Amino acid sequence: MSRQFPGLRWIVPVVIAAFVMSISLVGAPAQGQVTGVTLYISGDTNIQEMFDKDLLPMFERDTGVKAKMVFLEHGQGAQAILDKIIAAKRAGRQTDVDLYETQPTFIAQGASEGIWLKITKDNMANAAKVDPQRPEVLVSSGFGIPYRGSSVVLAYNAKHVKQPPKTYDALLDWIKKNPGKFTYCDPQTCGSGQAFLYLALYKFAKAEDYSTLSFDASRETAWEPAFQLLRSLKPAIYNNGFYPNGNVAVLQLLGRETIWMAPVWSDQGMSYLDQKLLPPDIKLIQISPPFTGGDSAIAIPVHAEHQAGGLMFLNWLLTSKAQTVVVNKLAGYPGIEWKYMPKDVRDKFAAIATNFSPLPNARYQADAKRLWQEKVAGSGQ
Amino acid sequence: MKSSFREGAAGLLLVLPPLFLLVFVILVPAGQAVLDTLRVVRDGHVVYSLARYQELLHTISLRRSVGFTVSVTLVSAAATFVLAYALALYLRFSTGWISTLLGALFIIPLFIPTVIASFAMITFLEHHGYVASLLQHVGIQETPSLVFNAVGIVLTEVWASIPFATLVLLAGLQGIDDSLIDSARDVGAGALRTFRSVILPLNRVATVITMSLLFIGILGSFTIPYLVGGNAPQMMSVVMTNYFTNYLRPDISVALAALSFGIAAVAGGAYVIGVSRREREVV
Repeated sequence: MSRQFPGLRWIVPVVIAAFVMSISLVGAPAQGQVTGVTLYISGDTNIQEMFDKDLLPMFERDTGVKAKMVFLEHGQGAQAILDKIIAAKRAGRQTDVDLYETQPTFIAQGASEGIWLKITKDNMANAAKVDPQRPEVLVSSGFGIPYRGSSVVLAYNAKHVKQPPKTYDALLDWIKKNPGKFTYCDPQTCGSGQAFLYLALYKFAKAEDYSTLSFDASRETAWEPAFQLLRSLKPAIYNNGFYPNGNVAVLQLLGRETIWMAPVWSDQGMSYLDQKLLPPDIKLIQISPPFTGGDSAIAIPVHAEHQAGGLMFLNWLLTSKAQTVVVNKLAGYPGIEWKYMPKDVRDKFAAIATNFSPLPNARYQADAKRLWQEKVAGSGQ
Repeated sequence: MKSSFREGAAGLLLVLPPLFLLVFVILVPAGQAVLDTLRVVRDGHVVYSLARYQELLHTISLRRSVGFTVSVTLVSAAATFVLAYALALYLRFSTGWISTLLGALFIIPLFIPTVIASFAMITFLEHHGYVASLLQHVGIQETPSLVFNAVGIVLTEVWASIPFATLVLLAGLQGIDDSLIDSARDVGAGALRTFRSVILPLNRVATVITMSLLFIGILGSFTIPYLVGGNAPQMMSVVMTNYFTNYLRPDISVALAALSFGIAAVAGGAYVIGVSRREREVV
């Protein structure tokens, strides 16, 4: 096209520039004036598909605003994008990243540079629907807004287990009374095993002490009884203390009905049930205190070129309509509180629709995994 | 005089690049790493102490891992050696199509990446795998655990190491003159006697090389113990990786590496002695 009308190459940017300038002269644009928005999204291919096929077309239909997505598969280049945002801020320039979806730890990294916009219900109405005590909101220093999450839940086989445990203590009891029918994966290799380990730690120590960014090794002495407890469980674990490698190995044991109960990721469990890789007798419930879980969060740079567009998209993403798509597609947790979700969605997820416990920070996680290996798996009987 | 000097210089020039690589890319960093394991910060000062090694040996799981690694390595190397020797003898002294076929078949594991071999072994040995169902047909209901423990590691290591060991031993056997064996037979030595008194001593160098390289190779292997091994005890290579990447304790990891280097040095010493003795004999 540009070969036929060479002038057009210049006209488009000039018009856009003029338009942008006119907007900046007027001040912050009202919603109707938003022209486009560039989203930087990271995740697996299922996330990409969800945005490409469902969310973005829906958003354009609902608002008439064109959204462009830059997708970082498996979070590759996430650090580079963060550096780019920081560099633009230092140079006093705008950035083309209008909205950044990433792990909360990346958002926390940029927080000290002052690159993120503080999002409250004053600049984005639906922020009011997000629980401010949610772990990821806290980890990202309040700059990240969760929009999807997944948690570890308890899977059990209803054919063999009539009354599933409702609390962590009841679960421990059940394991001892039904030797060989429970296992959790090696925490080195999977999040569902970590969740079981962290709940044991939280039984003897307060979760909040470990979930913030500060680290103090002396606090780990409080974990000692937890490791003793897990060691005492060993004879009752499947195959005399066999901890499979990875989340999938545990799901396979459940599928073969070799074991009757195990912690699994909510989204993985749901999708295995949907694909009939697990027998329909397998049910998912959340216990109390809940297992740990994690969120993907969104932050908006203070110097975003189309900041209004970014806010508009995020606000739309947190409507119950968009959140329903997210929850159904990913079998995960919504970013907004469950009470704002439509009733049929709440019913479908009723057994696991609670909040989840926060993860310890990365340093504590590393030590917990090491101590588990030293004191539980590697200690002998 | 002049030409020998030139020859010497040319030889030195040829040796220099690998020597450079050895010194600056392997020896110096390794030495520094070992020194680092001895440096401990105490009250803001750097002091030299064995604290890390003490911690290492006081941690039950690590102590068990060292013992486990050495015994798994010894058992695997011994089993491989026996099987490979038998195979090499067969290939050396037997003719016919079976021998030719075997000669082609035994080499196959050498061309299969260990990752794939390990996963194949898991499917083969696991609870509901081929071996278990085969045994069930014979009437054995309860199969012992064959994978995710020491048994699995040994079986997979043996499977993967046999081609290499057989090749080295076979090369040694082929160097033995047929006339020596024939004359032993002529004076009335049986097969066993010929093996013990003629073949075994003449093939000593190949034996030492095979054994020490098997030991070092299995000691340092990672993929097989990582995939086929259990949660605990783990081989040192797996433990090192965990401490380095998962537990954020590279210092313990390096101390473990230094320890495993010490263990490997024993086998390395045997190799050097074995090979240098051959050279003296040749001279």
